[in-house]
Amino acid sequence: MSAPTPGESARGSRAGVGRAGRTVARNVGIPLLSIVLLLALWQGIVVVFHVAPYIAPRPRQAILAVTQNWSVLWPLTLGTIRETVYGFVTGAALGLTLGVIMAKVPVLQRLVYPVLVLSQAVPIIALAAPLVLILGFSVAPKVVIVAWIVFFPVTVNVLDGLSHVDQDLINLARVFGAPRWRTFLQIEIPATTTPLFSGLKIGATYAVTGAIIGELAASDGSSLALYQEHANSNLNTAAVYGTTMLMTVIGISWFLLVVGAEVWATPWQRRSVARRRWSRRP
Amino acid sequence: MSPSLLELRDVGKVFGDTVALEPTTISVDEGSFVAIVGPSGCGKSTLFNVIAGLVAPDSGAVIMGGKTVTNTTGHVGYMLQKDLLVPWRTVQDNITMAARLTRRVTEADRAEARRVAEQYGLGEFLRHYPSALSGGMRQRVAFMRTLVTHQPLLLLDEPFGALDAQTRLEMQQWLLQVWRDTGRTVLFITHDVDESLFLSDRVVVMSPRPGRVVADFANVLARPRTVDTLTDATFIELKSRVMHLLHGGAS
Repeated sequence: MSAPTPGESARGSRAGVGRAGRTVARNVGIPLLSIVLLLALWQGIVVVFHVAPYIAPRPRQAILAVTQNWSVLWPLTLGTIRETVYGFVTGAALGLTLGVIMAKVPVLQRLVYPVLVLSQAVPIIALAAPLVLILGFSVAPKVVIVAWIVFFPVTVNVLDGLSHVDQDLINLARVFGAPRWRTFLQIEIPATTTPLFSGLKIGATYAVTGAIIGELAASDGSSLALYQEHANSNLNTAAVYGTTMLMTVIGISWFLLVVGAEVWATPWQRRSVARRRWSRRP
Repeated sequence: MSPSLLELRDVGKVFGDTVALEPTTISVDEGSFVAIVGPSGCGKSTLFNVIAGLVAPDSGAVIMGGKTVTNTTGHVGYMLQKDLLVPWRTVQDNITMAARLTRRVTEADRAEARRVAEQYGLGEFLRHYPSALSGGMRQRVAFMRTLVTHQPLLLLDEPFGALDAQTRLEMQQWLLQVWRDTGRTVLFITHDVDESLFLSDRVVVMSPRPGRVVADFANVLARPRTVDTLTDATFIELKSRVMHLLHGGAS
């Protein structure tokens, strides 16, 4: 009886190729355009105001400074990526765990929350010296600094997400006779996906900054940050700008990877019909 | 007389200084459709939550099929005005939600979800996410999720309260069809007098401050109920009686 009419199926079940193409153009094309405009602005300022090359190079020179020294820069870049990734994963895991524990044990929440806020009030750069004393000049102090920065927004968002899960939904699970751990895994955790990714995205934008701070304060040998310092003391301005661009690219790439993970993990936010592998064959 | 599936014996609940529900005794026959009608604050939702086991009563006992189930859960199907579908699961996976929350979902569960969805006009939407569905369709999915729990007693708390009038009438007729097909016992909360009369075998009228039952009578309207039922003389007469009970005046 009363089969649903096509109009009832509402939004987007027939999203065509044309619409998908436009979406890609909007989501990729416009951000790319803004980067091109930024480079053009840089070029324009340098040319119009006759900025001396030792103050600011042209974009092309900065990029060349990177590509021509790629064999030196690539291992350093890999090092920074490694610190960023290790630190991010550690921080995200710690942040998620803390968020869950604090949401589930209110006493711990009141006990731990002030400490967490305090941890973020400590200037990161002041943290580096004791970390080197404890952990030496290895990759460890950088990982700790990145994790230190990343865990906080993750914890705050997960905690917030878990405390805002619809109580009626949790009651419904209880009426069904669900044990608490199943309700947690099947309802509370998935309901927290969006806030979790908000925290991860904030963490991702700061992760590379953390790694570079770590390299500046806790490097004895070669690192991207020290390479830039050397270039600076040699008045190699193009290399200074180029290295900055390289660091920025690492940061943006990592952020985009996290955004990609979110898109992959939350298909229901963009699609009206599940991908075939998501649900068992009807 | 058919055996009673649910028995409430002197079930009462007080929240602070407010008597949410005076000690109430109700018995519900297996396979019947009982409507509970009353304004907000009359304790009908408290009554439901006590039956479902979400709220511990201050007095009395809830007995289902001869077994005392007071303050335990897992013995009723339950549905609210909010559909409470989870956005990250497809229609099929929302229907099998109760199984997923209590054990491993089997191929039999999925097959049943597909069968129920196809039988009641949602077969094409099994792989859709709830966000792609209209309000009426979402409530139907929520009802199917309740149905496949195989609980003999379904508690429906204003399930169609958020729908527009046309969709609501459609859903009421649909519910009657499913009820006839499956032979479940339904306890249906509403503040809409028309709805209570259109659906039920029996009407329980409640009133607030303190929440209590003020009338409990058989609904003699013939089945099947159609649009014409709503303008039937008996319907009008019963409606007038309930309205007087709810809003005072001579009855």
